[in-house]
Amino acid sequence: MRLAIKVLYSIETKSLSKSFGDLNAVDDISFSVDNKEIFGFLGPNGAGKSTTIMILTTLLKPTFGQALVSGFDVVTQPKQVRESIGYVQQESTVDEYLTGRENLLLQARLNHIPKNLIKQRIDEVLELIELSDKQNDAVVTYSGGMRKRLDIAGGLLHRPKVLFLDEPTVGLDIQTRRKIWEYIKKIHKEFDMTIFLTTHYMEEADQLCDRIGIIDCGKIQVIDTPQNMKSAMGNEVISLVIENQNNEKIFLSQLKEIELIKNINEDQNKITLFASKGTEVIPKIFQIASNLNIKIKSISLKQPTLDDVFISYTGHEIRDDDGKFNRKREHAKMKRLRA
Amino acid sequence: MNSLFYDTYTIFWRELKRYKKSRSGVLIRLIQPAIWIIVIGNTFSGTQPLIQSVGFEGQYIEFMAPGVIILTAIFTSIFGGVNTLWDRRYGFMNKALTSPISRSSIALGKMSAISLIAALQASLILGIALAIGVTFPNPIMIAPIMAIVILFSLGFSGISVMIAATAKSQETFWGMINFLGMPLFMLSPALFPLELLPDWLASVAKLNPVTYTVLLVREMMTGVSEGGVPAVLSIAVISVFVLIMVGLASYVFTREVNKPF
Repeated sequence: MRLAIKVLYSIETKSLSKSFGDLNAVDDISFSVDNKEIFGFLGPNGAGKSTTIMILTTLLKPTFGQALVSGFDVVTQPKQVRESIGYVQQESTVDEYLTGRENLLLQARLNHIPKNLIKQRIDEVLELIELSDKQNDAVVTYSGGMRKRLDIAGGLLHRPKVLFLDEPTVGLDIQTRRKIWEYIKKIHKEFDMTIFLTTHYMEEADQLCDRIGIIDCGKIQVIDTPQNMKSAMGNEVISLVIENQNNEKIFLSQLKEIELIKNINEDQNKITLFASKGTEVIPKIFQIASNLNIKIKSISLKQPTLDDVFISYTGHEIRDDDGKFNRKREHAKMKRLRA
Repeated sequence: MNSLFYDTYTIFWRELKRYKKSRSGVLIRLIQPAIWIIVIGNTFSGTQPLIQSVGFEGQYIEFMAPGVIILTAIFTSIFGGVNTLWDRRYGFMNKALTSPISRSSIALGKMSAISLIAALQASLILGIALAIGVTFPNPIMIAPIMAIVILFSLGFSGISVMIAATAKSQETFWGMINFLGMPLFMLSPALFPLELLPDWLASVAKLNPVTYTVLLVREMMTGVSEGGVPAVLSIAVISVFVLIMVGLASYVFTREVNKPF
């Protein structure tokens, strides 16, 4: 007899940790994802995003902690977890020499879709990702964006409860990326599934996610909606670049005394201020600067973006080759990559 | 059980699709055995008295043709597992591992596809042998011969899948394969009768499953039985070898793919 258990969360982790040797790739992560939510992990390369996905998809066992996906424990009930998830990997995993349709057929069989439903399901997803007219061409003739769409389609065929998308648009040009975002939104609306995605593009997280977890160095720095994160920053962001470095410390300390400024970040000559009334703050900045004989090379005022949010939580910009080069982390990564 | 069969078939289907689409691969795999049968078969035609001394009446090329068919089977199947490494590198393996199919069905599907491909390649070599004048007294025997080749190749594909799952690099894989493949072929009566080997080498050869396969296939092709090994014994040795290899390969594969690559 099967009891109908009401699953509160699609994904739930408690103190999830994974270490490779003495490197903590995922370090004491706890979070939960609601049913039918689009949840994003945002962070630079090597932050622990993919490792988390690999634990949640049963590919890696956690060193410590617990993770439930669709109510099933990833360590003790891997088969049930696999039955309820779709996983679209970062790299394209479609077979190049097979046609688009053959790839989907393979995926359908791997996921035990009943024989009488296979044809209908394949037609349906091909329609959805607009590849119906290319379905009988070998994938080797597809563009990067088409391959990605086929990959995503493969993850949808069996209507998983939770769909994992690992960096769904990495390596694609901006137009293709926007197109993929449209498909992801369409999928979410049509199939009503929970989507867990990782990305290192701010815009992507902002566009797609109901909630975002910012992850850096294996730890979650903050989880919130993109809107809340941005408004917590203050209403406006002022960036300025200064020339004279001698008085910088005094300059910063005087800036901090301005009441309207909520937070200050400095990165060499570049200073980022989060303020509630930018237009009132700017004249004060100029006044302090001229008193200290500091030359302001440029100043700008804008609405906060998630980029700014990321900087304020991690202290550095999100970049592929982050200024903070972590030798141990890179070494462990290379060791894993080396075939 | 039912789903193990279905899942094995899924992987088998995928591997065969890939084989069918790589036409150049089919030809490249034929080059080496074709050279063996044409070059060695003709170069050593002067050794006829040697094979006659063990009771074999006929051309040397007819004696060694079954050996080259087995050579094709050995190398096609022992190389066959290499795409396991690619699958792990390029994500297909993770795709399969996160789907509900069992790990051993992946290994079994690969092995059965590899052994069928090995038999197809071997039958092409048989065609070449017939084309260059090897006679085949009893054409009906082709079906059981191919059955033996498939069975035998299943064992070697097990070795291949096992090594591919354990090796983390192409270099390790090819190193291991070369270390195993050639000696197993050479230490068998594929090219010369066992009677011509020194006693100690002959006793080592008697431990080699390739020996029994060559003797069995040669008996089926030419009707001459050598070395006093009955066909039943050969079939039994091959079956035990295959059972052990298939079991071991499924176990090792399942264990290895659960580790991070």
